[in-house]
Order: sequence, then structure tokens, then C-alpha cells
Amino acid sequence: MDNRPSDPKKEDYAIFLKEITKTFPNGTVANFGITLGILKGEVHAILGENGAGKTTLLRMISGILKPDSGEIFIDGKSAKMRDPMDASRLGIGMVHQHFTLIPEFTVRENVALVLAESGWLDLKKVDAKIVEVSEKMGIEIDPEAKIENLPVGKRQLVEILRLLCRDVKILLLDEPTSVLTPIEVDSFFRIIRDLKSSGKTIVLVTHKMKEALKISDRVTVLRGGRVIRTVPTTEADEALLASLVVEGLAAPPVVKRGTPGDPILSIDSIIVKDDRGRTAVDGLSLVVRAGEIVGIAGVAGNGQKELVEAISGLRRVESGIITLSSQDITNKSTRFIIEKGLSYIPEDRMHRGVVLTMGIHDNLALKCIERPPMSKNWVIDRRSMINYAERLISDFSIKASDPCMSVENLSGGNIQKLIIARELSNGGTFLIAEQPTAGLDIKASEVVHQRLIDLRSRGAGILLVSSDLDEIIKLSDRICVMFGGKIVGEFFPENLDLERLSRAMLGAE
Amino acid sequence: MSDRYVVSRGTKRSIIKALLSVLLTFAVTSVILLMSNVNPVLAFIYMFQGAFGDINLLSETLVRTSPIMVVSLGLAVSFKCKVWNIGAEGQLYIGAMLGTIVAIGIGGGLLSLLCALFVGAMGGLCWAAVPALMKVKLGINEVITTFLMNFVGIYLVQWMISYPFRSPDTYFPESAAVPASSALMIILPGTRLHLGVALALALVPIIYFLMERTTFGYKVNVVGENPEVARYGGIKVGKIVFASLIFSGVLAGLAGITEVMGIQYRVRGSLSPGYGYTGIVVALLGNNNPLGVALSSIFLAAIMNGSSTLAWAMNIPMGIVDLMQGLLFIFVLASEPFIRFLEGRGVLRL
Repeated sequence: MDNRPSDPKKEDYAIFLKEITKTFPNGTVANFGITLGILKGEVHAILGENGAGKTTLLRMISGILKPDSGEIFIDGKSAKMRDPMDASRLGIGMVHQHFTLIPEFTVRENVALVLAESGWLDLKKVDAKIVEVSEKMGIEIDPEAKIENLPVGKRQLVEILRLLCRDVKILLLDEPTSVLTPIEVDSFFRIIRDLKSSGKTIVLVTHKMKEALKISDRVTVLRGGRVIRTVPTTEADEALLASLVVEGLAAPPVVKRGTPGDPILSIDSIIVKDDRGRTAVDGLSLVVRAGEIVGIAGVAGNGQKELVEAISGLRRVESGIITLSSQDITNKSTRFIIEKGLSYIPEDRMHRGVVLTMGIHDNLALKCIERPPMSKNWVIDRRSMINYAERLISDFSIKASDPCMSVENLSGGNIQKLIIARELSNGGTFLIAEQPTAGLDIKASEVVHQRLIDLRSRGAGILLVSSDLDEIIKLSDRICVMFGGKIVGEFFPENLDLERLSRAMLGAE
Repeated sequence: MSDRYVVSRGTKRSIIKALLSVLLTFAVTSVILLMSNVNPVLAFIYMFQGAFGDINLLSETLVRTSPIMVVSLGLAVSFKCKVWNIGAEGQLYIGAMLGTIVAIGIGGGLLSLLCALFVGAMGGLCWAAVPALMKVKLGINEVITTFLMNFVGIYLVQWMISYPFRSPDTYFPESAAVPASSALMIILPGTRLHLGVALALALVPIIYFLMERTTFGYKVNVVGENPEVARYGGIKVGKIVFASLIFSGVLAGLAGITEVMGIQYRVRGSLSPGYGYTGIVVALLGNNNPLGVALSSIFLAAIMNGSSTLAWAMNIPMGIVDLMQGLLFIFVLASEPFIRFLEGRGVLRL
């Protein structure tokens, strides 16, 4: 606590937080006595585990939440923000972990949304602004492109572009790289540096130490809602940060490769179309064996999503055959496929993985509600549901005070734990894990990885779809690279030629 | 089953919303009464006396409650699934008509009654099944189709009681009377309180059990809250949407035929003063919770019955019923954004 900033009125601070405390209605203390100064023109990383209070802090700076006590100073002046518009007027803009663009709208329309002040929509003016800002950022964006047609990396840039069109001086970024591929992360960091050199102040919330070290000027570590320490990045290294972020970090276990058995999932030259009717999966064939993790590597938007949806019965297969445990599941109902042993950890956990307004026990029982002991002859046994939830909460160390509390009160990491708990506990023989650790911190990711490996060791087949190449290499027994709806290369993690893999991902192999 | 029955934040919220809506309805009605030179306090006292003043008035209010409660319990199930059935009025008439035909056809007796109730319920089911199929198979919005089916249903029934099933012994377009031996028993001598009222009350715990303790209720909840999760979890969304809509049709049909078998004994053009629409307000006011819906039904029935006393005692038009019902509807719909506004200003903390 030696380098604690003291004078909130000092002009050098873009943001100064003084003794900020926030308690949620369910009793969770998200932030406690946070005092922190963000200097003008710096990139400041806020590092911490899930539930450390990082996002809550950002939300208070951006006016979405109000602190229970404490004071926020912007440019040396005390700022009482009642809503995000107040923050916006002070030049503060936030990019959320879950994007706030309207998918059906074009880039131009999404930008116009935040610019429209007079009630008169001047699209020419909007276009001019987009061109001006995107040139400054050094990126190419088609104002007429629909958001839903853009890859995730581009969407993120649109979020930032939208803030810059509003002449934001302070950018708050919540886990901005969690959805990006390594290549996208590099170009994203270039943009962050450009923004910094043009005088913007950037606060970046992350749980990835490597990224904090790479991009920031100073790092503040949060743990349990408190500031542990702020260090200049030049004086920090991974070991120091790790010791600050978590107490008692275990060394990552050595991953032993599996011993593949008989095929569990076989896909034979399937063709699947995307939402717009274009061929997204183009005659793809793939086999996953029992006791094997097959990693699907590839740049997002090359048919991975459609492939997963086709296997799980959520999307029509135009032609070809999919078999699971030697039963034809092509175009069968999701219900049927789940009964044949499918478990599925979806990428979009908020919209596909859980019902936010329902209880933990309700969500955990989603796939076994029709089987005893959860229900008998249509009648639900609530006691069994609660017992089951209590067991999984402790087995998977989900942080929850009550098995019936609604899921919206859980942090993102705990929601993911809940989904994993459900999917690994319903006795499936084949698991699709789609971005299973996106947005999770080291410790939580490690737990997820260990769970996947345990499941494989018990003889299940796993299809791991991830844009985190490190994760794919670490866990997979076999890596298939997907490009343009096809498998364009097969690699083994031993003696991996990273350069060939990268070329395959870009379709140059 | 000893579970923790904690009043959740959501429940607390919906109770506050309902109370607020009722309060505002009375407030605005008072202003309008004042403008007509009527003392609102006195008016509401008359209204209360008219609804609960003596055993006769009380039993009449319960008689009025019965069809409203049955309709709105059904609507609560479909609303929980986010399926907006606006067509309960038509389903009610069709159920009443078909049930009556069967009751007359079979003649008297318990069998006649049971068959009439069953066929009445099935009539409501069939009338709801048409928009349900259109929604599930063709993706047509049920708000439009259920609403328009009301007119088809009501006019069809009017034609039936004007021509093919017109009573031979009256001058008005109405059906023949159901046999007295098949009518619903009077449970309190000297009043019109019939067995149907008891059946309506018995439905409250049944619907509660259905929604909270069966896999069907669970699935309705999931589909209503997030259909994408439902699909992912292997729930057949179309089936549940279909089932919840026809279920509300069953209860609407049942409400129609109980009204015939318990009170009116014939199908007339004036069988229902809009119970199918009142049910929408009631379900929303009760936040689709069976207990809330039951209380709201009694409340709306009390306003309806109390208003006639009020109209007669203070010489104001009966339109006061429609006025209050309309206000209530507006305030129920507006209460959610209003409460959020209060929370945003820090006036209210929930």
C-alpha cells in the first residue's frame, strides 16, 4: 500500500476513485474501499480473478451502477453520474464483454444510435464520421455491413469506433480479447497503442497476465473486491502478478495424452448452411473416438458454429450423415441426440447455456428433468433437484449462497462452472466444448481443463472448438484445422509445426 | 415437501406492481368521480357494500368471480410461456355453445353435465388450436389470430342461436334451456352460488401444482424465459407453445360452459360481458401466479358487481366498470417501467 495515490484533485488523473464500496442486493460485496488513480494518457490494466470485482468497478465508472459509498473524480472534479449518459458527457465510454451492438443493424446504423442527439438523422454526417475515425484508427470498415455478418474481431472494432465517433477520452474495455484469435489480438493491441499515442486514456480489465504485461503501462491487481497493489508494468513479471492475483496458485498439471478407442462420433461429408442460406460446412468428414480430445482450430467464422449446431440437432444438415455411438443422428431432434449421449458446453453461455431468470437448481436440471429422481410421471421432485444442485455446487465449487438463487446473480465464471457441471454430470459419452474457457481466469480455466481431461480419461470423446490456440494444443490428442467449412489439415500436438498450423488456419496450406 | 418458501425479489416486485396499479386506478377514478360531482369516498364505500355487503351480494360476487378466475388461470399458463392468447372470449363462447348442445342432446342427469363440461372444454381447445397451429407451423403471430378468432367465434354462436339451435319457445335469439337435472348444483340455498364456483377455486391449487411441480410447468417456464435455451436443452419448443395455448383454450371453454350450466342455463348473445378480456387484465395483475390470479379475479368481480350498486345509488353510468378495468390495464402495463424508473432515481430499492 506504499504507492497509494492520495490527491484526487490532481490534474494528472483522468479518473480517481476514492474509497469506492459496492454491495449487491444479494449481499455480495463486489468492491470494498477501492482507491485508485488512473493517469491521463496511460493504458491501465486491472487484473484479477473472476468475481474479483473488476467489471463492477468499470460499471461504476461508466455510470451503469452507483457506488454505495465513495467518490469518483473525473479530470480532478468530483463526478456524480446518475446514468451512462452522464458518463458519456464526461467523455467516458465502455466496451462490454458481451457486445451491445444491434446485430440486425448495419455499422452505420449502430453508430448513428449513439450519435443521434437532435432527433434528426443525418446519415451522410454519420458516414463522414465513420470514415474519419476509421482512417485515424487505421482500419477498414464498411459502414453498410450488417453487424451479424461481421466476425467477432470486427464487431469489437465497431464497438470502439462507435465510442471514438462520440469523441470519448476515456475508454473502458472489459475483457476485450476474450473472443479474439491470436492474430486478432495482435492487431487489436496495435490499435490500443495508437489510441494511447493520440492521447486517450484506456482502462483494460483482464484476467490474462500476459496481456496485461504486453499492453499496459501500469497494472492494478484486484482480489476479493479490494486493491491488492498497483505496479508499473516495467517492474512486474508473471510470477509477481500471479502471486498477487491468487493466493496459493498450483503448478499446472502435466497433461497426459489419451488412448483413443472406438469411434463415438463419425461425420461423413456433411453440408450445412448458415442463417443466410450460404454453405457454411462444405462436405466435412470427421471422426472422434472414445477417450480422445479432438481440437478444432481455426479463425472464427469458418463454419465451426454451424458444425456444432448440426451435430447437436439445432441446425439442418443438407446432406451427409452424422452418427453418434453408431446411431444415425442426422437431423434428429436435440432431445434424441441428448439421449444418445451428447453433452454440449455452448459458446454463448448467456443466451444458450442458462436461463438467467431461473434458479441454479432449475438450470442444473435442464437436461435431466424428465428422468428420475428429478421427476416421476411428470411430477417434479423439488427435494431431488435441490439436493442435486447442492452436490454440483460443491463438486464444481460454484460460488453461490443458495441452490435456488437465480442465475443472473452469479458472475460469468460461475455461470460457466454451472454449465460445465450440468454437461459433465448428465452421463454423456460425447462432449462438445465450445470456447470452454473464454472469459475465465487462470484458476478457473485450469479447473475446466482438468475436468475435460478427466472426462476423456473416463472414455468420453470430446470435440473442443476454441479460438485459443494454446488451449487446443494443450488439451487435444489430435488437432483438425477448419477453414472455409472444411477440415484442411490434421496435426498432432507432439512435434507440432506451428507455422504450418497457422498457414492452414489462414487457408494457405 | 419442506422447502424454503422465501418471498423472492421477483414476487415482492410483482406484489408492489399490482398494489401500485390498483392504487393509481382508484386515484384516477376518484378524480373522474369528483369531476362528476360525486364523492369518491362515498362511491367506493357503496362499491364495497355492493360487492360484499351481505351474504347475497357476497355470493353474487363469487358467482361473478368463477368464470373470470377459470379464464385467467388458463391465460396465466399461456402468458407464462409468452404466448399471448387474446382469444379467450371466442373460446368461451364456442365452449359454451358446444357444451350446451351436448347437454340438451343427452337429456338430463349427471352424465349430461359431465359430457357438457368435457365437450365445452374441448370446444375451447379446438378454437384455440387453430391459431396455435398457425403459430407453430406457419409462424403467424398469435395476438392477431386469437383476437380475430373472437369475432368469428362470437358471430358463429350468434348465428347458431338465431337459426339452427334457436329455442322454439322464446322470441329472442337464444338456445333452448339445458335440462334442469343436468345443471350445476346450488351449494348455498337461497343464492345462486353453484358448484362451479367451488370447482373454480379448486383449480387454483391444481394450476399452481401444474406450473411449479410438473415437468410441463417447468418446460413452459423455460420456453417463456428463453426459447433458445429450451431448444438447446432438448425441449420441443413448438409443442410447448402449442400445448400452453390450447390449455388456455380448454379453461376458457370450461368457463363458458360452467356459466351456462350454473347461471344462465341457455346460451345468449349476452352470455359473457367480456370475461375473456377481463381475464387478460386479471392474469397480468396477478403476475401469472395462480394465487395472485385468484385474488385479482375476486377484485375484478367486486368492481363489476359493486359498480351496479354504485350506479344505482349515486346515479352514475355503469360505464364506470369499463373505465376502471381500462385504467387498471394501462397501469399494470405501465407499472414495470415505472418501478424501474423509481429504482433508477433511487426512490425505491427492491
